[in-house]
Amino acid sequence: MLRNTDRSWGAPAKLMHWAVAALVLAQTALGWAAVNWRLSPTKLDLFVWHKSTGMLILALMLVRVAWRSVNPPPALPGDMSRLERHAAQASHLALYLLGLALPISGWIVASAANVPFRWFWLVPVPAVVAPDKALAEVAAHMHLALFVALSLLLVVHVAAALRHHFLERDDVLLRMLPRRRGGT
Amino acid sequence: MICRLLLVAGLLVAATCPAHAADWTMDVATSRLEFAATFEGAVAPGMFRQFDARIRFDADRPAEGRLDVTIVVKSADMNSADIDKAIGGAEWFDFARFPQAAFTATDVRMVDGNRYLARGTLSLKGVQSPVEVPFTWTATGDTARMDGEFVVKRGTFGIGTGEWVATRVIGADVKVKFTVRLRKRA
Repeated sequence: MLRNTDRSWGAPAKLMHWAVAALVLAQTALGWAAVNWRLSPTKLDLFVWHKSTGMLILALMLVRVAWRSVNPPPALPGDMSRLERHAAQASHLALYLLGLALPISGWIVASAANVPFRWFWLVPVPAVVAPDKALAEVAAHMHLALFVALSLLLVVHVAAALRHHFLERDDVLLRMLPRRRGGT
Repeated sequence: MICRLLLVAGLLVAATCPAHAADWTMDVATSRLEFAATFEGAVAPGMFRQFDARIRFDADRPAEGRLDVTIVVKSADMNSADIDKAIGGAEWFDFARFPQAAFTATDVRMVDGNRYLARGTLSLKGVQSPVEVPFTWTATGDTARMDGEFVVKRGTFGIGTGEWVATRVIGADVKVKFTVRLRKRA
């Protein structure tokens, strides 16, 4: 089943959700390592990995936004309060925005710092802003601030999913998991 | 008295350089000395903001030509705070110990048309190594323009030592490109 239904997510939505989840985890480790590594060829390689992964996440997030715009998500459980519904909508909107803003802010950092970049050493990626040392610094702080915001929001996201599963005992978490063979 | 001194000086100059090849001074504002390294497979351009060229050259008598170029190495500018800080370090240009580089050529020959080749010595980071610099020469009256580009191996001059000797991340070849505008010395 490809398209989302009123009751469950389609395969593309699930696949992209978990792909971005895995990439964001890897990306956090790569970014942390790249920043803290001593200046060496390894550090420069780590930055290429980090930037390449960031561009991949940005591309996936754009596809997810496009896919979601023609595939409404499944309905929220009927017993959720108005407040819970608003919180769910707002936090998901924020997750999408941060999923786009983090890679874009990183792209601005790299462009303003005038560090040339080929995606996975293959495809030249153009700069989005002209070289600007002051902007590079501001954008780097912004990148970090957005990362902190995303981290906090992901804690809320995971906690909410677990709450739905273990406390509310609804299918909000299960319907994002791969469907087991023969199951429903 | 001053006039006589100048006259004597003039005679001395005439006596030591009977070739009469013209002497040229560089127009600092419009001359460019650029380079392009490679960084993780991408081109990383930069320039030396301060350099000077003194040229003796006559297109009809290239063999009498002479090029003397001095480069303020620490004026290297890659327009990036991180990179500019790194390249001044001991593993790269080592600004503190080697603030100046020089290229001197006394072997200048015509290739064809307005294309010439200067074979000289580049002194950079304490290393002297022969370098061939092809250039074109376009003169109009008292002004002239030299353009050229050539490739140097950064390893020859110890630019990038230690683990940077490996060339996968920072490439071995650095392309150097110049446009020098000159004015004939009176």
